[in-house]
Amino acid sequence: MKKTILLIAAVIGYTVSFAQEQIVLSGDELFGSLKARQIGPALMSGRISDLVGHPTNARIIYAGTAGGGVWKSADGGSSFTSIFDKHAQSIGTVAVDPNQPDQVLWVGTGETWTRNSTSVGDGLYKSTDGGVNWTKVGFDKSERISSIQINPKNSDEVYVGVLGPLWGDSDERGVYKTTDGGQTWERLLAGSNDTGCSELILDKNNPNILYAAFWQYRRTAWGFNSGGEKSAMYKSTDGGKTWKKIHNGLPSGKMGRFALAMAPSDSKILYAGVESEKDKGLYKSTDGGESWEYLNKDFGLVVRPFYFSRIVVDPKNPDILLKAGLYASMSRDGGKTFKELGGNYHSDAHDFWFDINNSDRFYIGTDGGVYRTWDAGGNTEMVNNIPVSQFYQVSVDTATPYNVYGGLQDNGSWFGPSSSPGGIEARDWTPVGYGDGFRVLKHPTKPYVYAEMQGAEGVWRYDVERNQTRNVKVFAVEGDPKLRFNWNAPLTQSPNKADRIYLGSQFVHVSNDMGNNWTKISPDLTTNDPKKQNQEESGGISKDNSGAENHCTIFTIAESPLDEKVIWVGTDDGNVQVTQDGGKTWSNVTTNLNGVPANTWCYHIEASNFNKGAAYAVFDGHTANDGNTYVLKTTDFGKTWKSIVTDDIYGFARNIQEDYVNENLLFLGTEFGLYVTIDGGAHWTQFTNNMPEVAVHYIELQPKTNDLVMGTHGRGVIIIDDISPLRELSQDVLNEDVHIFASQPFIMPDESSFGGGSNGSQFIGPNPDRSAKMVYYLKKRHTFGKMTIEVQNQNGQVMQEIDAKKQRGINIVTWNYRMKLPKIAKGKTFDFGGFTAPRVPAGTYTFVMKKGKAEYRHEIELQYDPKSILTLADRKAQEEMVMKLYNMTQDLAYLVFKIDETVDYANMAKDANAKLGKSSAGLIESLNDLKKTLVITTGDNYVGTADKQLREKIGDLYSVVADNYGKPGNGQYANLAILEKTLEEAKTKYSYIKNKELSKLERAGSKYDLGAMQEKSFEQFLKEYK
Amino acid sequence: MKLRLILVSLIAFFVIQTTSAQTVDEIISNYFENTGGIDNWKALKGIKMTASVNQGGMDIPITMIQLADGRRYMKFELQGKEITQGVFDGDVVWGTNFMTMEPEKSDSETTENTKRESGDFPDPFLNMKENGYSAELLGKETIEGTECFKVKLTKKPQLVDGQEVDNINYYYFDSENFVPIVMEAEIKSGQMKGKTRLTTFSDYQEVDGLYFPFAIGDGIKDMGTQVINITAIELNPEVDDSIFKFPESAETTTSDN
Repeated sequence: MKKTILLIAAVIGYTVSFAQEQIVLSGDELFGSLKARQIGPALMSGRISDLVGHPTNARIIYAGTAGGGVWKSADGGSSFTSIFDKHAQSIGTVAVDPNQPDQVLWVGTGETWTRNSTSVGDGLYKSTDGGVNWTKVGFDKSERISSIQINPKNSDEVYVGVLGPLWGDSDERGVYKTTDGGQTWERLLAGSNDTGCSELILDKNNPNILYAAFWQYRRTAWGFNSGGEKSAMYKSTDGGKTWKKIHNGLPSGKMGRFALAMAPSDSKILYAGVESEKDKGLYKSTDGGESWEYLNKDFGLVVRPFYFSRIVVDPKNPDILLKAGLYASMSRDGGKTFKELGGNYHSDAHDFWFDINNSDRFYIGTDGGVYRTWDAGGNTEMVNNIPVSQFYQVSVDTATPYNVYGGLQDNGSWFGPSSSPGGIEARDWTPVGYGDGFRVLKHPTKPYVYAEMQGAEGVWRYDVERNQTRNVKVFAVEGDPKLRFNWNAPLTQSPNKADRIYLGSQFVHVSNDMGNNWTKISPDLTTNDPKKQNQEESGGISKDNSGAENHCTIFTIAESPLDEKVIWVGTDDGNVQVTQDGGKTWSNVTTNLNGVPANTWCYHIEASNFNKGAAYAVFDGHTANDGNTYVLKTTDFGKTWKSIVTDDIYGFARNIQEDYVNENLLFLGTEFGLYVTIDGGAHWTQFTNNMPEVAVHYIELQPKTNDLVMGTHGRGVIIIDDISPLRELSQDVLNEDVHIFASQPFIMPDESSFGGGSNGSQFIGPNPDRSAKMVYYLKKRHTFGKMTIEVQNQNGQVMQEIDAKKQRGINIVTWNYRMKLPKIAKGKTFDFGGFTAPRVPAGTYTFVMKKGKAEYRHEIELQYDPKSILTLADRKAQEEMVMKLYNMTQDLAYLVFKIDETVDYANMAKDANAKLGKSSAGLIESLNDLKKTLVITTGDNYVGTADKQLREKIGDLYSVVADNYGKPGNGQYANLAILEKTLEEAKTKYSYIKNKELSKLERAGSKYDLGAMQEKSFEQFLKEYK
Repeated sequence: MKLRLILVSLIAFFVIQTTSAQTVDEIISNYFENTGGIDNWKALKGIKMTASVNQGGMDIPITMIQLADGRRYMKFELQGKEITQGVFDGDVVWGTNFMTMEPEKSDSETTENTKRESGDFPDPFLNMKENGYSAELLGKETIEGTECFKVKLTKKPQLVDGQEVDNINYYYFDSENFVPIVMEAEIKSGQMKGKTRLTTFSDYQEVDGLYFPFAIGDGIKDMGTQVINITAIELNPEVDDSIFKFPESAETTTSDN
């Protein structure tokens, strides 16, 4: 025993000594049930980078996406579910092991359709349980993996094609092989610093034969190059030991990207899309790559090779092939001619998957989601439930519920509600722009929405009420050089003047009349480096001057919420400039940016809400092959800056949001998710609750609801509802065993339950929970002993029991503002009106939490909906009638209970002695006759239902009045009077039977040792009856 | 018993600090040891649980019975009426139809799947090898804010919509005291197909020397759970065999119309 005490003492001492130290919790330990809400939308979906299916089960299909992870369908494409949330969301390729297709999957991260906005990957992953769990198996620095090929006879033998980094030199490129299931890797064919493997094919009929395409490529922030001397196609016939170049029949000179495919039904037949200086187009080999025949140079075959180098051949017919492109096209004659697919599918097709059993049916991955065809491409239909939209930016308004605005990669600009009856559906979203959408803003007071398309080619002011559009784009005026707008040009709303907006080229343009008239208020604030302005030359072998590479432009503009004269500007070539006089004079503070390499893209400046000289600047170096995180804070108008980055953060950052209340509460969006600090950046914690590792491009904080709204580049809009508990977190709080967070009064919304028109295949974004809440922190998970929560009114009466949450960290429990259901009389069928719980009146209520022996109490305030037109008197009249009917419902339940008990007694009497049979039978008959008028005693719960009796009539009135809003009408009062009278008559009748017939039976029974009936009290009944 | 559990936890606490390697067998063995001893678990013949589910103000009382031979019974009460669900007599799975309130047999796949899991009593880890199940330790993972051993339990394949599919459950054993606190499994059919079913275990309490979770949450990951609050557990209960049997001669009351 002594030893035990010592042991306990030691442990307590140990724990206490810990308690003195600072508590730093990981996201899994801190955020508990504070969860993100993914509202999509899915109606425009997003870019699909790779499609692959199960080799023998046509129901299973995988879609790899450009920025939204991997999605699996197990129902032939009717619905898809995300299966890769915890890892990098940019997907290069997905592979299914042909030997263990239900178990082993591989994912190579890093999209290979390398547009300017593409996200990055971080290696190769493997699952051995069908995609439930994933393990990283290496290639951390690969950035982009193009291909994974598995030996169909040996699962341990896997080949990987690594394309490698887009933005800089890297040695981690080429063809790699493992023979031990991924534990060790050998490089079989090296690339070079700028040339990697863009396609790798293994001959399923002879796994020693491999084909590899290598691509020389490089992107900078201001240009793109595809092609060079090092792009080539190779073949190996000895499992990758030796390789030979296979260009017999191809043009000479510099080559770009290849689209390489083998016909599954005939390994000798290969197709290659060739990007070359001359004779570019489609080539075909019928001898396993030994020679090539030039077939076709149609637009669909040569368009943007960096984006569309994918050919897929029908698994059964080597003459049928699909080519990715601006429009997908199909050949039925072995590549001689092509026809575009039909139907209204999204442009920019990247990949295809043929159904293994029926080639008429195939899937198309586009910039706007997955499409299906049932008639070999004659028509197409969209999969409506893959919410992988790529937002560049989001903003919010102050409506109730507030709306979310934002622009999308190749999918226009939109706004939609943060909450909608029945959930947020496709029909709730309104389009407000074309092309690539970027920054979308709501005028603070007027019904106008500003939206823009790429490079500020269009800047619209859209009148939502009148459905009118005015293009308010900025034009050059006399003396201006060519205006340089970023692809994602900064359109910004003033926080101080409602009609003021800003737009950045290399200059800051301001309009004080909502875009009608513009004034230039700055000189060129960029480095204006002419070497970075040759976009006409961009593209390499295939010219590609879309405007996406415009550089030396302003990228972020922020007017201080505290002083309209203070304006911050950040440029894509690394400058930070600030004016304190509304643009008359500008200070270039770039040289003060400690630790940020020169010319690093300034992605976002957040002007502080607490000090007009304070701001945060976020720099993104990934377009210079620099994946570090740069977040700096100044408090002196940029004279000095301090980094607030720690090793806790993974990935380069793009955006930061400062809280409006707690200066130390900051939210940081990185390439791999969301990070939160509660101490001004001394420690950061990743937020992972229903929050994938998706690139967060923009963050807003809604000031009324305290909702954190994120524009993600791959998973649509993600919201964390009400982050206010985080404001209260401190070391003191974290050291408490239990801490209950303060709460604002809750509004009980007056709203109907109508809403929702989507069918099962459409994505529906969940609504926020508007229940009353108690938010509490537990230092340790509650695992042993009882823990309960109930809500009491001011008299201590229990309104409802609430299921306690017991995680370590933050827990949120909710209460639906209702009491318990009334006890319902037992009948043959259900009384559907009885499944209604009354709403409680406004007032003060208390959450009472019992955890072991400790009790915690938390008072909350409930208020009526201020939007409602009801008077207090209306509400009181309604509440009075509801409770009258509630009590009548329970009175009736008690009456029927007593009748049933009396029948039981009579039956017992009958069984006890035959001489009691007659009196018993008479009593039972009287009781049953009465009961038949009180509850339904025949029929079923559907159309076989019997006529309504008193229970059902009370239930009908009760449920209608309880779920209504407002004073009951005269019909309801009149109906109530009838029901009250009927109930009283029934009670009287029972008393009569009891006094007369039951008493008689009891008297007779006493002669045969039968005791009198024991009647349970109403209180006892309430306690015991279920 | 309580003291024993505390001590075991404390010792485990120290052990964790000093040794990191645990095998899956050790974890399972510790679990049974900490919750009453493997022999006591093996001696168990039946469990009767009384519980309730709270749905927005509606308290639904539930009675569940499980026997060592795989038979099971579940009944809940609504407006004074008893409704049975998922009853299994070793041969037939059946329950009450909500419209007619009459018993109906479950489909053949449900029945077959129930038979394949009928050896799970009282815990799928107990007779794992006899049942042909296998367990694998996947490593440590934090869930519910708590560091756990994540164990993959592979049971017999299930039949889903005409196909055999793997039947895998992931258990999270609290690394401090070795009791499972969460179970996850992929949903294989229906509208939630592909999503993760999440079951939480808490409020462990002692019943005649064995520890049981008295609160079991069941739901879909990231979409909320419904808690079954257990109020009483009776070990080796006396049960009338007839309750498991499908009432073949049930009166087929149809409408009076």
